[in-house]
Amino acid sequence: MNNVMAWCCAFGPVQRARVVSLLGLMCVVSASLLATGCGQTPAATFRLNLVESSKQQLTPSQEQQVATILAALFGTPDEPRVPPEINLDVAKLKLAAGPVRSDIVGRKNGLYREHCAHCHGVTGDGMGPTAAFLNPYPRDYRPGVFKFKSTERADKPTHSDLVMVLRKGLAGSSMPSFALLSDAKIDALAEYVKYLSVRGQVELSLMRAYFELDDEDEGVLPQSREFLFEEIIDPVTEMWAAADDAIIDVPDMPADLDMVASIAKGKELFYGNKANCVKCHGVSGLGDGQANDYDDWNKVVLQAQKTVDGGVKQAEKASTWDMSAEERDEHRTELAWLDRFETVLDGNALRPRMIRPRNLRQGVYRGGMRPLDLYYRIHAGINGAPMPAAKGTVPPEDIWHIVNYIKSLPYDFNGTLGVDRPMVARDRM
Amino acid sequence: MARSKNSVGVNRNLNPAINLFVCLFVFALTSQLSAAEWASLKGRFVFDGTPPAPVEITADKDVEVCGKHKLVNEELVVSDDMGIANVVLFVRSKGVTVHPDLEDGSKADPVILDNKDCRFQPHVGFVQTGQTLTIKNSDSVGHNSNIATMKNSPSNSLVPSNGSSDVTFSSDEAIPASVTCNIHPWMKAYLVIRPNPYGAVSGVDGSFEIENLPVGEELEFQLWHEKGGYLDEFTLGGKKASAKRGRIDFTVEEGGTDLGDIVVDAKMFN
Repeated sequence: MNNVMAWCCAFGPVQRARVVSLLGLMCVVSASLLATGCGQTPAATFRLNLVESSKQQLTPSQEQQVATILAALFGTPDEPRVPPEINLDVAKLKLAAGPVRSDIVGRKNGLYREHCAHCHGVTGDGMGPTAAFLNPYPRDYRPGVFKFKSTERADKPTHSDLVMVLRKGLAGSSMPSFALLSDAKIDALAEYVKYLSVRGQVELSLMRAYFELDDEDEGVLPQSREFLFEEIIDPVTEMWAAADDAIIDVPDMPADLDMVASIAKGKELFYGNKANCVKCHGVSGLGDGQANDYDDWNKVVLQAQKTVDGGVKQAEKASTWDMSAEERDEHRTELAWLDRFETVLDGNALRPRMIRPRNLRQGVYRGGMRPLDLYYRIHAGINGAPMPAAKGTVPPEDIWHIVNYIKSLPYDFNGTLGVDRPMVARDRM
Repeated sequence: MARSKNSVGVNRNLNPAINLFVCLFVFALTSQLSAAEWASLKGRFVFDGTPPAPVEITADKDVEVCGKHKLVNEELVVSDDMGIANVVLFVRSKGVTVHPDLEDGSKADPVILDNKDCRFQPHVGFVQTGQTLTIKNSDSVGHNSNIATMKNSPSNSLVPSNGSSDVTFSSDEAIPASVTCNIHPWMKAYLVIRPNPYGAVSGVDGSFEIENLPVGEELEFQLWHEKGGYLDEFTLGGKKASAKRGRIDFTVEEGGTDLGDIVVDAKMFN
């Protein structure tokens, strides 16, 4: 033990506390190994959103309160449940949840863990074991934000949007097509994704609600049904219920459209001040314009990292000598919080990674290659990503022109290659 | 906390006839007292210490337009006479009595957020729920305004040169929402979205005024600054004051209350 102490003392105050907590963690791990033995797999559990709880500076008992409420509402990864107010089909959830197993010959349960969890994580936090190796990272469902859908920018995807992503995969990302699964299985998985997303959003709302408590609440969320449903759950479920009414109304592309003229018009719009596509997708269309931005998921981690780095820098500068006892206590609490936050970011978040505007010369489109899919992307922008909505600024017929221009980009050539062979992305790179 | 129970709170359980009577009575009472019932709260945020020199921003996008303007980081703006700009003070009390003319945010004049000289103007805005926020673009280059709200639907629309787009918020936001332009990543603004009209953002000289507050009602206010977060320590009227999470109670007196200088130590902005 003396060695450990000496080792610890070699570090500064922040690192020291971290080493201690690491040692603590090792003890917990070995203790739990002793308790369960090596032959048994412990029951799967949902991971708490520790990045958010650290950001909100929740105490352990507040985290416990959140976990208790979530367990009461949503059950466990093996035994999912939802209150009747949340419109999700429990039978479908049961098919998707739990360990991979078969009770009837030919029927397999535990679809989510069989097909999704290794990337998206048991909790749906986008942090399965393989997540760190993928670019882009797998989707974290918990904020309830989905990119590729037929609804307006801020709205939830429809059930068929999720089914579509499962069936077709997302071209250019690690998300494969699950078209070999039966319709019923894909349907169950889409339902389960919604379940994890609703659960994640409720968790976020609960954690953020502590900030709004009054002093007389003494740091405990109200136990009333009104609070839980009216303040927390209803706003989430209402958004999901409204998705079908938020489908973008797309006027047909004019049938007598002169394609050459439309592409020329689209090009003008692409480079023009109104649609302004050129700013991010680049003069070349290779996605090399504005390229130092992050998506919303990565921004959360980036922001947290900044908070921790800034706080640590400040704490190192602070001199404890001229502090009153009270200030020193506060300083200590602050240090403990920063230290924990740092540990949380190490273990519960993926290193922030920049988002690249799509290279439009490759003809690979994540959300589908149909002209309609491109129309949706331009009209509504991409939720969670920097791509803004053209809705209200660019009229529908102009959006169609841009779609036609973009569809022409992979085949664009400047004449030097000869007309017999259109330029392909490789030539441009 | 002493919240004045007005007619809405009291008559919920009474029968309609009495209800009507109480309403009429209260109406008569308010119209009689209206001259004296509302007053403003004002003060000035003052920086104590050596303000950091403004950090220049190198515009690396649309250089021909944005490069012309001397852009600086606006996280902390201190005037020559030490006034702190862009500090927000707003009423947090849910039960606050709101001036009848100001209750409906949709009737208030729109708040303008302009994309001008490749920066957002104002840097921090106050919006009431229901009130229109008009996002303008006075620049010759296109912008987009990505509003990161939590409870309201987040939005991100293109704002072409000389164009504008209107946004309204149906719910209030517990923390100020950031507004960014994805084309020009240095551009940042904040919107404080509250369910009542009672909030103000300090001007260039650090002064602020919230008008038409109910007189004699103890109200909980909250103070926020982009760099300093929820300001929890400052000197008020020469005395040290602490405001946990930036929350502090004030009661506006008849004729208005002037808090004078609210002095905030430089270390709060580290």
